[in-house]
Amino acid sequence: MNSPSDAEVIGRSLDEPEAFGLIYDRHAATLLRFLGRRVGAEVAEGLLGEVFRIAFERRKTFDPSRATALPWLYGIGSNLLLKHRRGEARRLRASARMMAAGEGADRRASAAARDAHLLFPRVADAIEALPDGEREALLLFVWEDLSYQSVAEALELPIGTVRSRLNRARARLRELLEPGGESRVRSR
Amino acid sequence: MKPLDLARKLRREAAFEPAALDRGKAVLMAAIRQEGQPKRGPTIVPQVPYEDVNAALAFLERAFGFREIRTARLVSRDGAIDHATLAFGGSLIGIGPEGHHGAISPKSGGIVSQYISVYVDDVDTHYQHAVAAGARIATGLSDYVWGDRPYEAHRTYEALDPEGHRWRFHQLLREVP
Repeated sequence: MNSPSDAEVIGRSLDEPEAFGLIYDRHAATLLRFLGRRVGAEVAEGLLGEVFRIAFERRKTFDPSRATALPWLYGIGSNLLLKHRRGEARRLRASARMMAAGEGADRRASAAARDAHLLFPRVADAIEALPDGEREALLLFVWEDLSYQSVAEALELPIGTVRSRLNRARARLRELLEPGGESRVRSR
Repeated sequence: MKPLDLARKLRREAAFEPAALDRGKAVLMAAIRQEGQPKRGPTIVPQVPYEDVNAALAFLERAFGFREIRTARLVSRDGAIDHATLAFGGSLIGIGPEGHHGAISPKSGGIVSQYISVYVDDVDTHYQHAVAAGARIATGLSDYVWGDRPYEAHRTYEALDPEGHRWRFHQLLREVP
């Protein structure tokens, strides 16, 4: 027996609100991991219920032509994360330090790999310096492995805008890999 | 390394409490239950007695624009209306046969012991509608100001229903703090 699509479940939940619980059961673990990568476990655990409460209250606005609700839920989560920018920046910089101190310090690593790992604190700074919309598109794409189409649905943007945001983010990061990139990034 | 791989490598998983998913679900289920609860009605509901409940019901709908909540009607074994509920704006009134709960109609009692104030958006239109439907006008349309400062300005009229209950319709014109 085929299980109903998210769109069908959400449609049913308009008359039977309890049906929305299934949307949680399907996607809560994914959303929790997403929020955790961004702001750490403690804040993520607090935000998880909020994401689904907001989704439930807005379920009439869900576009039923989308089979899966996941990008929509990511979008609600992304909005909530905007209020936690400071914690997000802290976590990103901590991750960069761990990368630099961990693999990067391994003597067996090639010189290129060591250099790359020493780059990470600056990568964190570069990601932090991105405008909110570019950073959000970048992290949904590279950390959550969403397609361009899904990022577009999550951020309610045309797919072309997602493409151009990712290109801008890519260009900023490429500067770090080029010789002399460091000084250019610092001068920004 | 490709530029986006630099960003990809900074992805780091968080370690969650085992109950994290349960707590999130509890938040959602509380929201779901809250939506399922029936909306609370108004806190005060006047109950108005009539000799002829059917005639009163028809008049209140026709002349004043009240709407019966049909599912709330109580009917006795002989088919008479024991109680009907009418909605107007966010408020309710109940009507029923006189004698119940010790209440009598002005038509048989000869006195009006209270009147009911009803706030409307456009009292002139309401007045014309009531007159056209045969309401007796006790006090015609006029403007009143209450209080010094703050004060309220109202435009009102008073109508009598077929059994003599007095209804005062108000339009709040302005409120001056």
